[in-house]
Amino acid sequence: MSLSRRQIAADILDAHTRAQQARAYAAMPAAGPVSEPLALGASAVDHCLDGGLACGGLHEVRAELARDIGAAAGFALGLAGRAIQADRGGRRGIVWISDPAARIDGGGLFPAGLAQHGLDPESLTLVEPHDLQGAMWAADEAAGCAGLAALIFQIKGNPARFDITATRRLMLRARDSGVLALVLRQSGGEEASAAATRWHVSTDLSGADEIFERGVGAMRLSLTLERNRTGRTGRWSLAWNPRTRTFDHAAPHPNPSAHPLDRLPESFDRQDPPGAMGQVLDRRQDFGRAS
Amino acid sequence: MDAHPDAPPVVVTDTLKNALRIVALDQRARARGVRLGQSLSDARALAPDLDCHPADDAADRALLLTIAAWCERYTPLVALDAASGRDHGLFMDLTGCAHLLGGEAALVADLEARLGAQGFHVRLCLADTPGAAWAMARYGQARIIPEGAHGEAVLPLSLSGLRLEPALVVSLGRVGLKTIGCIAALPRAPLAARFGARLMQRLDQALGREAEAISPLMPVAELSTERRFAEPIARQEDISQVIAALSAGIIEPLERRGLGLRRCRVRLFRVDGHVSALEVQTARPLRDARMIARLFAERIAGLHDDLDMGFGFDLIRLDVAHADPFEGAQAEMMAGNAGGHGHDALVDRLGARLGLERVQRFVLADTHIPERSFGREPVARLASHPGARRAASGAAALALLPDLPTPDAIITRPLILFDRPELMQTIAEVPDGPPLRFRWRGASYEVARSEGPERIACEWWRDGRGARTRDYFRVEDRQGYRFWLFRHGLYGRETSEPAWYMHGLFA
Repeated sequence: MSLSRRQIAADILDAHTRAQQARAYAAMPAAGPVSEPLALGASAVDHCLDGGLACGGLHEVRAELARDIGAAAGFALGLAGRAIQADRGGRRGIVWISDPAARIDGGGLFPAGLAQHGLDPESLTLVEPHDLQGAMWAADEAAGCAGLAALIFQIKGNPARFDITATRRLMLRARDSGVLALVLRQSGGEEASAAATRWHVSTDLSGADEIFERGVGAMRLSLTLERNRTGRTGRWSLAWNPRTRTFDHAAPHPNPSAHPLDRLPESFDRQDPPGAMGQVLDRRQDFGRAS
Repeated sequence: MDAHPDAPPVVVTDTLKNALRIVALDQRARARGVRLGQSLSDARALAPDLDCHPADDAADRALLLTIAAWCERYTPLVALDAASGRDHGLFMDLTGCAHLLGGEAALVADLEARLGAQGFHVRLCLADTPGAAWAMARYGQARIIPEGAHGEAVLPLSLSGLRLEPALVVSLGRVGLKTIGCIAALPRAPLAARFGARLMQRLDQALGREAEAISPLMPVAELSTERRFAEPIARQEDISQVIAALSAGIIEPLERRGLGLRRCRVRLFRVDGHVSALEVQTARPLRDARMIARLFAERIAGLHDDLDMGFGFDLIRLDVAHADPFEGAQAEMMAGNAGGHGHDALVDRLGARLGLERVQRFVLADTHIPERSFGREPVARLASHPGARRAASGAAALALLPDLPTPDAIITRPLILFDRPELMQTIAEVPDGPPLRFRWRGASYEVARSEGPERIACEWWRDGRGARTRDYFRVEDRQGYRFWLFRHGLYGRETSEPAWYMHGLFA
């Protein structure tokens, strides 16, 4: 009896000290070089973020469907490209760490595509550990490396091991070192994490080309800021300009959506959106029967 | 091997001349009258309880290599004796090493005792020439032939001691030449004319008239430092501490030579003869003991299964396998370069822990086939000097991708490429046009916009005459997903039913 009581007392004391430590840490200014926020280039987004993304910190980029990985990777690489361009004190290079599970159906980066996206393929260091634990270790190491511009950690789904403790550790290390740490979550749901912002990226119809009517236009993505520590969230449609390496607001489509039923309504203006009703299924006609 | 006193005699058999014959046997078998080369049925008649095993050359060789690795505790120059075939042997060049262990006699005694403790019976001889040592170890009794005495010492030994073909030994025996001394006294020219120059070469090698080099298994380290323990150590902290101390010791000689370490190996000699090796590489010449020790700590932490300590290690050695001129002392002073150093140190740490081949960079290849146009090379294997590599391959990248700074920023290549193109079902309006609908990974898509084809011809010099052309299309479906897909084969000319493949995803 007395033992368990002592145990409880110790637990309470432990919780107290931890809370104190957390408060002290929160009050402490970031040890690393206090850097300018990383502006995206699109005025409304930057305004919502009070000037831009916090450079030393963790941000999550989420793609709900596997086929959205292209748009999500494009957004994450755009942010990383901007971090390189900002050239904060001789930082160079992007480290791309991928969880082996994400590699199975996610494909790999294509250097020619990277170059057209406005990134030097040489600036990327690819790390492919043989399991998630190794990948998390590598992400921790990279987040703490002050010589690095950006870190992209690609994971698939919501593995239990990459929990709030792991994200908090990443967040703190990135805050101290000033690295822009991005978690690229492929086919993953919303999850509580220590990230400063969480973005839900999906693809958007490209604008028509003036020269070629039926042609495919430049990349355009629909971006939802689902969570923001500083409070405000929002939803935008952005285009990436690889030449200037900026995100611009996309011109509105003449025909907003050809299939309005294909997307579930998203409540983007609240921190805790209600869950989608039922399970999300591919509701399009079966191709074989339709033809 | 020593076994239980009541254990049956052990022999190893192999098929020779259409019969199972004895190729190796132990002392007990010899005592029962079993002889080498005897057929197994004869041997069974002599010793019915014979414990016989089939010969396994691969296992023998693996064991010999393990012993060779262990023997590197005495000298870095250990070589397999290639000439002796199944009669396994090792050469060790002990020049300049004996004094480290208290002289030749002490070294030989130590080697014999340690191998004996591991369960091996060894026959060994230390002599001035490899040939004399070989002959004496097999056909003589002496353990050590004193300096300069090898000429006389080998004379009474059998001619087989000259590492000759068995047939040659037999034909020499027919003319009454049985010992090395017999032919050493004879005139050389007639002997060489009748029995070949090889005989004279082997004789000269044994007597030291002709130099003979052995080819060591491992390259000799540029610098090496080691620590021996009277009591084996088996705790990971102890090992890390020893590696840290050894790294600190290697710095001063590196400084004296103006070198920085690029590749470094630690070898842990277990008391039972097993040798574990750990290797780390660095992206730029390194001369910081703490960093070296940290890399090894990562390497140990990243081992798939823990380091098997067994009964502990009694010798730990650190070798500098490769070192480059160190020009960092002044570069570090310049502000702004600190970032680059941090980045390289990170790459070193990741490589040490996860394996060097798991930290990669893109390299470009000179081909238009998308999946062949690039490769992923371990950073550690790329050119040694980072600046030079970046400059060279950066130029290559620009040459290969002329549309990097396109004025109108047309994107023609996807960001994500699948390692292997995925087959899909499609419906196209016209046989050589873009698809109207397609089905990929279980979902169907309707094409809203498309561009193409971009024709990429096959590489007939690589894939052969029947290889097909690919027509690539960029398509966007009604939801805005942008895909890169291709039709494999020209309709009508190359195939009547071209297959469609999904190859990439645009941003």
